[in-house]
Amino acid sequence: MGTRETPQANAAGSDDPLLAVENLTTVFNTDKETIHAVDGVSFDVREGETVGVVGESGSGKSVTARSILGLVERPGVIESGSIRFRGDELTGDNWDRYRGDISIVFQDPINSMNPVYTVGNQIREALRIHQGLRGQDAREEAIRLLEEVGIPDARRRVGEYPHQFSGGMRQRAVIAMALACDPDLLVCDEPTTALDVTIQAQILELLDELQREEDLAILFITHDMGVIEDTADRVNVMYAGEVVERAPVDQLFDSPAHPYTRGLLASIPGQTAESDRLPTIGGEVPTPTAEPTDCRFADRCPEAFDACEQVHPDHVRIGSDHTAACLLHEDRYDRQLSASGAGDDTPAGDAAVDGGGQR
Amino acid sequence: MSRWRYLAKRFLMAIPVLWLGTSMTWAIIFLGPINPATYVLGQTNPQNQAAVKAARERFGLGEPPLEHYTEFMINMVTLDLGQTWLLYPGTPVMSLIFDYAPRTVWLGFWSVLIAVFVGVPLGFYAGLNSNSVSDYATSLTGIVWRAMPNFWLAIMLLALLVKSETITQALFGIPISWDTFLVDINAITGNPQLSYMQGNPLALVTQPRETLAAIKKILPAAVVLGSASMGNEMRIGRTAVLETRSEQYIDTAKAKGVSGRVLVWKHILRNALIPLVPIVTSEAFLLIGGSVLVETVFGINGMGKLFFDAAIQGDLWLVATLMFIFIILIVGINIVQDLLYTLIDPRVGYERE
Ligand code: SF4
Repeated sequence: MGTRETPQANAAGSDDPLLAVENLTTVFNTDKETIHAVDGVSFDVREGETVGVVGESGSGKSVTARSILGLVERPGVIESGSIRFRGDELTGDNWDRYRGDISIVFQDPINSMNPVYTVGNQIREALRIHQGLRGQDAREEAIRLLEEVGIPDARRRVGEYPHQFSGGMRQRAVIAMALACDPDLLVCDEPTTALDVTIQAQILELLDELQREEDLAILFITHDMGVIEDTADRVNVMYAGEVVERAPVDQLFDSPAHPYTRGLLASIPGQTAESDRLPTIGGEVPTPTAEPTDCRFADRCPEAFDACEQVHPDHVRIGSDHTAACLLHEDRYDRQLSASGAGDDTPAGDAAVDGGGQR
Repeated sequence: MSRWRYLAKRFLMAIPVLWLGTSMTWAIIFLGPINPATYVLGQTNPQNQAAVKAARERFGLGEPPLEHYTEFMINMVTLDLGQTWLLYPGTPVMSLIFDYAPRTVWLGFWSVLIAVFVGVPLGFYAGLNSNSVSDYATSLTGIVWRAMPNFWLAIMLLALLVKSETITQALFGIPISWDTFLVDINAITGNPQLSYMQGNPLALVTQPRETLAAIKKILPAAVVLGSASMGNEMRIGRTAVLETRSEQYIDTAKAKGVSGRVLVWKHILRNALIPLVPIVTSEAFLLIGGSVLVETVFGINGMGKLFFDAAIQGDLWLVATLMFIFIILIVGINIVQDLLYTLIDPRVGYERE
């Protein structure tokens, strides 16, 4: 069940969303095995909105970002599925036409800029490619962009090297460079994770401002539910290469349907006021190496029952624009708890749901 | 700018290094057990105490060490290099060096150049086409080439060149003699004729025939001398390119739409050059040692050979002076290295907060 059936029309008036990812499967072929880093992921991004992708490390969210930008390199390969931008297929090496229309901001601002060229040089490079600006014009525009992203004394700093910028300033410069490409979609891959909390808030605020001013669509990738809550309009929760739940942000926080989402929500500090300890989901994200025959979350799921080991759950409709891939929501399976599961029929995540409701 | 301050600092730091190196040279050579007086008296009568004493006096070896040290240091620093004692008695060291150095410089120049201009591009090529057939072929050749010892390579190369007519006849059906190929040289080994450039360095370009002949003469020696470096530079160049390619800023540039050629030339190669700088310069040091061997094999009268002869004959003063020149060279190469760093990498000299 796709999300595209939702009634909201996009601004362009056509039925195509800005970005449509469908059944994307990106695998890494090693000598021993094939790792399905992204396995049948579908979601879309409409003009001007922020779509969040959230999951632990290893969930495949960064590979999803790299796939969208055509940056997957050997031994990785996009095995199947489609990525359409404005209705045009990008897979099969058609990225060049839309370079710049999709820009990316990586997690680590230290390595996002080439250390041997000045910040200005790298912004001007993007301006030349995407806006045809050269010489003094490009310089002035680069300064304007740096000012726009809130870098003080931009006229001087445009001639400085990335290592002369502090972490937060460098991330602002990276954003300026992304803006120089005049993008419609900005992919932010954990853009604030490497920064400390105050700077993180400033960068989020900046992205928010830019989105309003420039009518940018943002694909926001993070492991941090708190950040998702502040930024995203719609959210895709990823686990072991798959999207396990998708919903508008309010619905996701008010009534999470997938046990994994509940776990993630419960682990946000401050969400569970009664408990002293921060509940976390035990275990790690498995590395998917084959086609799934079970629910990949079954090992760690507090509500797993027998069928979870035998059936790979499909997305089930929970509400309008809200789906989850969990057998709990399919009536045809007998919800007999397995011996290893929790002894209580009440989902452990309910506490988190209540907590979320009281925010 | 802090980069240039860093360079100036490195320059100042070279002074104590120079002083220390020269002092150690003095200590090792003049406080050591070698008594050049016995060489000079040689066949006559080394047992004659008076003659030995007289010879020692003549060399200034009778002085108290501190005085001798001070005198030596002052002489070196003021470039008053004195005369040789034994090798070419009475010849000023300075004129010997002027006579011998150009051939070594010529040899060193071409061996560094050939190594850099063959090794680095091959390494970069292999790195850009990693895990392809051409990468494997290049890497394998590089490893084999690097594994061949200098002296063996020198002999094999000479053997091939001597037989060049027979070999080309067998391979291509036309006999090409190395002696007469492009320009005539009278013998495969020996000194390159550099005198045409004396007092007129522009002759390097204005008299291409002489230049070509001189290059051809030095080529086998330069290839041998640079062979190890070439292999090293290839290996490091390949790794450097591979590492740079996986850097995040390369992804950023790709996402920005930078085209393949600009990506390689602007974003990858300049960064890949950074780890190569110390490799190239440290190999320039090896050349100083290697030139002793290669000059001997190829019959080139250069500084390496001069040093070898002086050491064998116990001409301490000449040995010490040549050591001093080598120290200056090494310190100089170090400064060149810092200069290259400063030019290529803006992060140099930047104090992290
Ligand atoms: S399908 Fe089963 S194991 Fe998977 S999340 Fe739902 S309840 Fe848990």
